[in-house]
Amino acid sequence: MGEAEEPVPESGAVFTFGKSKFAENIPSKFWFKNDKPLYMSCGDEHTAIVTGNGKLYMFGSNNWGQLGLGTKNTINKPTCIKALKPEKVKLAACGRNHTLVYTERGHVYAAGGNSEGQLGLGDTEERNTFHLISFFTNQYKIKQLAAGSYTSAALTEDGQLFVWGDNSEGQIGLAGEASVCLPCQVDVGKPVSWVSCGYYHSALVTRDGELYTFGEPENGKLGLSPEQLKNNRVPQLVPGILERVNQVACGGGHTVALTETDVYTFGLGQYGQLGHGTFIFEMSAPKAVEHLKRHKICNIACGENHTAVIADNGLMFTFGDGRHGKLGLGEENFTNQFIPTLCSNFLKFTVCLVACGGCHMLVFATPRPKGSEEIHED
Amino acid sequence: APESSSDTQTTDSDEIVVGTSLGSPPKADMEWIRIEIVSLSLHPEAVACEHIQQLYVEYHFPGVPLAETETPLSLRKPQGSEEIYFHFSKVIQLDTEGVSMQRERLFSMLQAEEAGQSWLQFVVVSEPPPGTGGECEDVGFAYVDLHEILLTGNDVLERDLDVVSPQDRSAIGRLKVSVEAAAALCAIYWEGRRKAEEEE
Ligand SMILES: [Mg+2]
Ligand SMILES: [Mg+2]
Repeated sequence: MGEAEEPVPESGAVFTFGKSKFAENIPSKFWFKNDKPLYMSCGDEHTAIVTGNGKLYMFGSNNWGQLGLGTKNTINKPTCIKALKPEKVKLAACGRNHTLVYTERGHVYAAGGNSEGQLGLGDTEERNTFHLISFFTNQYKIKQLAAGSYTSAALTEDGQLFVWGDNSEGQIGLAGEASVCLPCQVDVGKPVSWVSCGYYHSALVTRDGELYTFGEPENGKLGLSPEQLKNNRVPQLVPGILERVNQVACGGGHTVALTETDVYTFGLGQYGQLGHGTFIFEMSAPKAVEHLKRHKICNIACGENHTAVIADNGLMFTFGDGRHGKLGLGEENFTNQFIPTLCSNFLKFTVCLVACGGCHMLVFATPRPKGSEEIHED
Repeated sequence: APESSSDTQTTDSDEIVVGTSLGSPPKADMEWIRIEIVSLSLHPEAVACEHIQQLYVEYHFPGVPLAETETPLSLRKPQGSEEIYFHFSKVIQLDTEGVSMQRERLFSMLQAEEAGQSWLQFVVVSEPPPGTGGECEDVGFAYVDLHEILLTGNDVLERDLDVVSPQDRSAIGRLKVSVEAAAALCAIYWEGRRKAEEEE
């Protein structure tokens, strides 16, 4: 990056790529005065950032009121949701056109599109401000929120998983149920430790490291055997990963699972989002990404058609659909990447957080201390 | 309560510092052309040969080295009606107005009377698998008429072009491309016309 620009403070900056709606979609960056991001989430075209001081900042498309600002105007700059300030926000999740929020008081709020009941408010009317989901009282300590196209999930500290919204493809795992507009529990017989909602499929990880998938069965994105696919409306164990799974991320047509040593991908890879090279455009069973084997990956994120992973040394790799510059690999010349590609923008940074949306990506990174060992990558 | 009115929810804009933007200042539309090779599909029989395994696409643009205008990767040849996706998008910064081979060449393309001379040619190329000792082979051609862009004033956006065989010009598939060039071509054309008149 150029020399003349303002230096990023030691506390780091949020970098935007692709159609983020920020800074006219030109790769850009911003930071908070006396605050820093703790958690970021991207929807199809909107973004939520939760800061260390418990504030929620939102920006992006707002056609459904998903920013919770009381309007439907597109917002092109991170904007604090003042109405939530008294409560300290801890978690946020952006779906395709809605947003979920969890606060320190134990409240879960939702705003945005609600055509399938994804707001969990007992109806299907959209909301342009954050509304309390009364189901969640402070007896539930929420560990993770997830949101897909028209789906929502909340995972408790003690491993209970609650889901609501669109179940037309079985993507909330409630078998015969159609859409539900109130939270319902999904039980796989053991505690759940991670959940991800993709566009039309979802996945969970159990505390003992098993991966389960459910929802739209096409293109191998569930990673299940042909026999299992007949039962795609309930969570089923994905065979073929012999190690413990720690995290899972679901995109539009693909799924990424992180184990202790490897990153496994499956589903659609026509744009390179599986990272298996230029000859594999679809995989129906989990396959470890060869080019990540020599790295220790500690975080994964999926956009609709792209994937980002962070290594424990703070480097980031991206792959998949390169359109609009969402892979963070260039200013104006872009191409699809079929293997994980080092984001050289961040060689002098430690990447802390990444979030991927439909056509954008946000990265929170802090500068490496001066004089620290230069990271070289061949 | 969270359901309060919107006017209390505007940002404290001083909480956020926007970093100065990267790179060069944005350029006017007439100073650049963007070309994207989006995707390719081919009739199965056109690539049935065993020796065709992977394909890339290139184009020639005046004043730009060929290495910069070919897709950086070859992709596995499409199977059946499959589409393969390059999404290879390049912004070509044009030489500035004045004496420039690039601008002269583009002007002569725009002025050409003969069909074909104003065409920007895309070539689908078969790249032999590494270690097989084969040679790259042109599999098909596709064209965008720059003259048409000039006349209509419209950029070409995600257009499906016929890919034709180099042997008999029969259609063997489709190449999807974008060529955003209307403003730049218009500027080059009128600059060329003005110069021509001054010389007379
Ligand atoms: Mg590894
Ligand atoms: Mg232009």
